[in-house]
Amino acid sequence: MDLAAIFATELRKTMNQKIERILANVQKPGRYVGGELNAVIKDKADIDVRFAFCFPDVYEVGMSHLGMKILYSVLNEQPDIWCERVFAPWVDMEEEMRKHDIPLFALESGDSVAEFDFIGFTLQYELSYTNILNMLNLAGIPIKAQDRTDLFHIVAAGGPCACNPEPLADFVDLFFIGEGEQVDLEVIRLYQACKKAGKSKREFLQEAAQIEGVYVPSLYTVSYHDDGTIKEMIPHAAAPKTIRKRLELDMDQAYFPDKFVVPSIEIVHDRAVAEVQRGCIRGCRFCQAGFIYRPVREKSIDMINRQCRSICEHTGYDEISLSSLSTSDYSQIEELLETLLSWTDNEKISVSLPSLRVDGFSNELMDKLKTVRRSGLTFAPEAGTQRLRDVINKNVTDEELMKTVQTAFEGGWTTIKLYFMIGLPTETMEDVAGIAHLGQQVVEAYYSNPKRAKGRSVKVTCSASSFVPKPFTPFQWEPQDSIETLHKKQQHLIGSVHSKKLTCNWHDADTSFLEGVFARGDRRLGKVLEQAFEHGCKFDGWSDFFSLPKWLEVFEKCGIDPTFYNQRRRSFDEVLPWDHIDYGIKKSFLKRECEKAYQNVTTPNCQEACSACGATCFQGGICVEKR
Amino acid sequence: MKSVRIWFHKFGTAKYISHLDLNRCVARAFHKAKLPMWYTEGFNPHAFVTFALPLSLGVEGKHESMDIRLLEEMPKEEIIRRLNDALPKDIRVYDVTEPKMKPGKIAYADYEIRYAADDRDPQELKKALEKLFAKDEILVEKKTKSGIKTLNLNDYLDKYKMTVADNEVVLNIVLPAGSTENVNPSLIGEAIKTYLGYSLFAVIIRSYLYDAEFHIFA
Ligand code: SF4
Ligand code: SF4
Repeated sequence: MDLAAIFATELRKTMNQKIERILANVQKPGRYVGGELNAVIKDKADIDVRFAFCFPDVYEVGMSHLGMKILYSVLNEQPDIWCERVFAPWVDMEEEMRKHDIPLFALESGDSVAEFDFIGFTLQYELSYTNILNMLNLAGIPIKAQDRTDLFHIVAAGGPCACNPEPLADFVDLFFIGEGEQVDLEVIRLYQACKKAGKSKREFLQEAAQIEGVYVPSLYTVSYHDDGTIKEMIPHAAAPKTIRKRLELDMDQAYFPDKFVVPSIEIVHDRAVAEVQRGCIRGCRFCQAGFIYRPVREKSIDMINRQCRSICEHTGYDEISLSSLSTSDYSQIEELLETLLSWTDNEKISVSLPSLRVDGFSNELMDKLKTVRRSGLTFAPEAGTQRLRDVINKNVTDEELMKTVQTAFEGGWTTIKLYFMIGLPTETMEDVAGIAHLGQQVVEAYYSNPKRAKGRSVKVTCSASSFVPKPFTPFQWEPQDSIETLHKKQQHLIGSVHSKKLTCNWHDADTSFLEGVFARGDRRLGKVLEQAFEHGCKFDGWSDFFSLPKWLEVFEKCGIDPTFYNQRRRSFDEVLPWDHIDYGIKKSFLKRECEKAYQNVTTPNCQEACSACGATCFQGGICVEKR
Repeated sequence: MKSVRIWFHKFGTAKYISHLDLNRCVARAFHKAKLPMWYTEGFNPHAFVTFALPLSLGVEGKHESMDIRLLEEMPKEEIIRRLNDALPKDIRVYDVTEPKMKPGKIAYADYEIRYAADDRDPQELKKALEKLFAKDEILVEKKTKSGIKTLNLNDYLDKYKMTVADNEVVLNIVLPAGSTENVNPSLIGEAIKTYLGYSLFAVIIRSYLYDAEFHIFA
């Protein structure tokens, strides 16, 4: 193209002038402009349905998320659908946007989100809920579902937190339960048909509720007992009594993009990502992901290898991360790594694993893995004593940990990070002190290892997050520790450290408190969310913005006691807000697991034996392959 | 091994890619383009790339360049095609040449700054700017590595041209640029704000770089 032409006309058209004007006043303007390699630009004349994929956090966080990349490609493969990306503007940008009357816009077209048929949110963490309301409001769209009466502006949501959709029931028209690749498209096609037939929004939602994996909260009413617990959840308009999750059974057939949008500015995880499996064989009792993604389904080496090649060729990334809940449990991990390393080395591409159990690997192989080298070794015993690890079904022994760190020391590592949780059920102060003792043992192991790197000192960090009981886990009935108790435990932990080589730190107990409320909340929390949004709560997951006092004020104003949701012990026969959502996991199994936890009895993983959790109902994955 | 100079435009959305991010961006593009690049040795090998002169965030570049080293010859059209396939859409490679001048020689840059008149009369705005530029002392603060320095912009206003086009006042100006002295064109906007109280929206475009004798950087 002629230079003069580019600078006179083309360039002026590449961006929305109004948006460009405010960019001079904000930090990191690159978050708001799009234009990245592989971003999908379509001609609006060819488009029937516009889908705004909204990530309720900033660009750098959202762009690191694999699920978004998958759905973006699935939808954009359809010639008549255009899916665009939308992120939460950082506060400086929001201020400018509100000042200059600029609505929330999508990155590809720069168009207002109010022009889109679907506004889809991904729910990755509870503390992003206020951002959802704020984003809708910034788009000029009514936040409440009941105020959006036309068959347009369909607000949808999916992702792990959709397993308890109730706190968002007032705002979201429909939820995708489980994995979204297929169901998203089915719902969009239904929408098109309903539009054509001149149907109403309500008619569309009623029909959508018949699709497996779709939950329409407005079709259910909830009644309560005097004590505030749920009495009954009643479906209307032929909506199903329970909503079963959707999932991909054959991972080799599951959709995976051949390219990613490559951000031009630095983001949190900037690399190619290959998904090696879904689900996890281990049933750690605190871990929601371990239950809601059951059963574990592996991709073949051949498929992973091909996908890695394709992504690297289309993006130029020089690092591939093998992603899954527990990648080192992939049954042929060594063969997979060897296959990948046979070409990645030549092409100057490194392979990394998000977490690693070192015991099974040869030192040679470990040398070739990048992340491990770069950031030191991480290990997650989760609890400080063997007893408590048995309670949570974290099948890691002290010996295994010691063996692992010894191998690591001999391989030249000197930085070890250990992850723990405090506030776990049955935890005593002894268990808390056990965290520091375990860290101390690792320090001592270093100095007693004759093969350690000479002349260097060791650095061990124990990082403790606060346990939050989650739906669809054996601990879904448990009370969460109060903030005071957590503080006491944190103090006890720091008091138990007796070495300069050992550092202990912890996460903020205040944010865990709120996370705990919304994780197991019901739809009565809708008014709390609405009030909180009106009080300016946003980016609650960011410590710069989170204010518990502000939230407590809102709870007070709404006449809702937050501890009813997070600090109350529920009885096994209580109707839980998410009882109508079906992840294949039987409540009776979770109850059994909870009872075993209190007896310090562990449960074998799915590789070793089937514990009849209920996931066989999907008739796929490890439940049928192994047996 | 052969050094080549890659010429590109950086405009539109790409002007919001900082120099640091641009480094990452082009490294990835070279990797994707699979050019026969020379890589540095060592534990973390990377392609050897040097830019003529970093461009400030928010400024467009008409004739930007970076030098790389190739292990084998490759037709220029092929290099251009492959790189354009690998770069963000608003970074466009348009030429590949043999480097004639060393980046260290760069002493000046010329800029086109388009101030939006908005609801002001552009002729009046032009007059106001000319009056400001005629002052003996136009003091602005410049952030440097060693702290904040006060600068008299009048020292740099000997080479400029101002015209009115549509609803804009277009300023063409040559300013010191390079490793010895560098004056950021946004300082003029700061001065306008300080002395006239106008916050003008400006599109800033860097056109050519020059050496001390005003030879175009090539
Ligand atoms: S190993 Fe345990 S904590 Fe990790 S994903 Fe699996 S079940 Fe969850
Ligand atoms: S049914 Fe058995 S094998 Fe399948 S996920 Fe449940 S426990 Fe594992």
